[in-house]
Amino acid sequence: MEKIQISHIQLFMLLSGFLFGSTVIISPVQEAANDGWLAILLGGAGGFLLMWLYVKIALLNPSKTLVEILKERMGKVVGNILAVFYIWYFIHVASIVFRDFGEFITAMTFPETPMGVIIGIFAVLVVYVLNSGIEVLARLCEILVPIIYIAILIISLALITVRDFTAFLPLLENGITPVLKSAFSIISFPFGEAVAFLMVFPILYKEEKLKKVVFSATIVAIATVLIVFFRDLFVLGSGLIRRTNFVPHLTTLILPWFNVEPLLDITLMIGGGAKICICIYAAVKGLSQIIKIDDYRSLTGAVVIFSVVLCIWSFENVLELFAFTDKVWPFYSLPFQVIIPLLLLLLSFRNKSRPSKQGAQTQTGQKESNTN
Amino acid sequence: MICRKGSKGAKIALLAIFLLSALLLSGCWNNRDLTEMNLVSAAGLERTKDGKLLLTVQVVEPAAIQSTSSGKGQGGNGSPYPTYVSSYEGETLFETIRGILSTLDKKLFFSATQILILGENLAKDDIIEALDFFQRDHEINYKMYILVAKDVSPQEILEIKNDLDPIEAMYLKRTVDNNVARGTVKRTMLIDLVKDIYCSGKQIAIGQITKSGKKEVRTEGIAVFKDGKLAGWLNRRETRGYLFAINQIKSTIVNVPVEEGLVAIETISAKGKVHVPFKKGKPAALGIKVNIEAAVGEYAGTGKLECPERIYELERKTEEVVRKEIEDALKKVQKEFSSDIFGFGQQVRKYNPKYWKKIKKEWNELFSELPADIKVKAKLRRVGSVRDSLEKDE
Repeated sequence: MEKIQISHIQLFMLLSGFLFGSTVIISPVQEAANDGWLAILLGGAGGFLLMWLYVKIALLNPSKTLVEILKERMGKVVGNILAVFYIWYFIHVASIVFRDFGEFITAMTFPETPMGVIIGIFAVLVVYVLNSGIEVLARLCEILVPIIYIAILIISLALITVRDFTAFLPLLENGITPVLKSAFSIISFPFGEAVAFLMVFPILYKEEKLKKVVFSATIVAIATVLIVFFRDLFVLGSGLIRRTNFVPHLTTLILPWFNVEPLLDITLMIGGGAKICICIYAAVKGLSQIIKIDDYRSLTGAVVIFSVVLCIWSFENVLELFAFTDKVWPFYSLPFQVIIPLLLLLLSFRNKSRPSKQGAQTQTGQKESNTN
Repeated sequence: MICRKGSKGAKIALLAIFLLSALLLSGCWNNRDLTEMNLVSAAGLERTKDGKLLLTVQVVEPAAIQSTSSGKGQGGNGSPYPTYVSSYEGETLFETIRGILSTLDKKLFFSATQILILGENLAKDDIIEALDFFQRDHEINYKMYILVAKDVSPQEILEIKNDLDPIEAMYLKRTVDNNVARGTVKRTMLIDLVKDIYCSGKQIAIGQITKSGKKEVRTEGIAVFKDGKLAGWLNRRETRGYLFAINQIKSTIVNVPVEEGLVAIETISAKGKVHVPFKKGKPAALGIKVNIEAAVGEYAGTGKLECPERIYELERKTEEVVRKEIEDALKKVQKEFSSDIFGFGQQVRKYNPKYWKKIKKEWNELFSELPADIKVKAKLRRVGSVRDSLEKDE
């Protein structure tokens, strides 16, 4: 297999682009309305723990992808079965992002274009990027993800005159329940979905920087989501936030002097694109490792097409999508995001504590974790 | 791969394909040219006697704008106005917008709409259900101004033609801007309205528009709503009082009576704030605090401004005038309409959420009975280039 490596800055950009993903258009804390910032902080703390979990797994099993770890720690049969489930999960995540993207564009920007066309064109791009290699994706993110932050900065600063800074009051108007619910959903979307990065971590050039990079990207992502949330709340007020489908889009529409709507579309394409690409990459990479072929490229086209079809078939309308991502998704994701990784961590620790047969690789793993 | 191994010709071909695909990418699926649609510059909505919606649109013909600007003064052939007004009746707004195409030639395009005028009958009936379309549709300009027509139908206002601006909607918009600067009308954009409708503890108030003479409009005063229905009107002075309280005044002229005449005070900045002080777990009053920085603009009468004491006196008098305006506005909405357009309820909701939950339903009645506590502070900073008023030396 060819040697593929990405630098830590590239990983940072990939991860923060991924975490930002479709959060650009769909606010994960809508239900909590003006207490959303509490939900973001709580959920962010939870997300941080999850990231720590993933990093720990990666450090205990150096230069191994999730599929390899599963096979090694759980035995060949169970590992393979779980790996297949994970691949399904990654494809599902990608299809949901595809659908979010398609729904937004058809609802707001191109209402008369069929969604299949929009998603299809996007899918062609995804296949092209992935077949050019993950390094290309990493370099692309290195250039493009900063644009997301610039766009957010521009929109936020331009709206500074139309703000009501007391909009976050009253605290906990509807009790703590909606906050906890929102916090729970923000843990699974977007932080928990970063489990796909267990397929990416091994190609990081300097593995010892992994922890630092992942944690700083997580903090940046939490801060950005928080800034976007406060911007929307101060501009729109809590009543409107709870009832609008695409909150940040509405915010950009009321900019006093000029129209920056395209900026939002661009950030969505970059963030969503990064997320879809990573998920599909994780899926095809895993698949190629299960069926033991060297190059994942022959699989990309098929998997992307599958994901696109899935996203169009699984929901009949936008409300079904919202209901699914709200009510089912967090629970459905739980085994993939928390339970199996926790199990893996425990198994990795157990193998570490008694002298293992794997020898050299686990030894380095010990060193890694000891230094940290 | 092709790039690396191919000849120079192949590279050029590839480049050409990329450049050509850029041409395809620039357009969207439902590409429409400016000449293929009717730009709606202003729209009016009214409820007819049999309960239907009457939509009036003022559409702009872009080609005609050019001919008027270049052909002005030549006089003569054809209408000098680039706008056209048309109406249609229907049950829902969307149906009406499509139905109007039975008389107009091209599809309506609402992204550049500047003004939406709501008729008095519609306002009395309910404006909220008529506004849903504007919030749901994707082609709407959230920054369009909303006005309520008083004593006149929206259709009549949209049909006014004068020579001030070829597009009448722009004339309307600028008069609103002028009155906003004067502090005599509330600037209500669609987004503000939507925000206020969703906001619990605040009733909506929208600027008003009337016809003045044959060719002009007047946009002074506001329409006060209660639960989406028109409750009444505030006149120019009361409107200014209201705007002082909700912090929307920048520069306005306040006439202050003194012994020998009137002094015109120009406010430079004004900061208004509403709050509800609580005593023993209950709201004690409706508090309004206004801080004004102002300058003396005119002394119409015989008097002298020679010492600071005179200025202090003038400050007290200015405060009194402004306080009276605010009080009048508050009294009227309290006693006559019992509609909380100031947003006191919102303050209660923000700072005393538990109490608000209990009395949310009865807030309108509670609001009507609370005493007012209005504090105005004025500072006169400048007197202009002369001190005393213009008079003959004796």
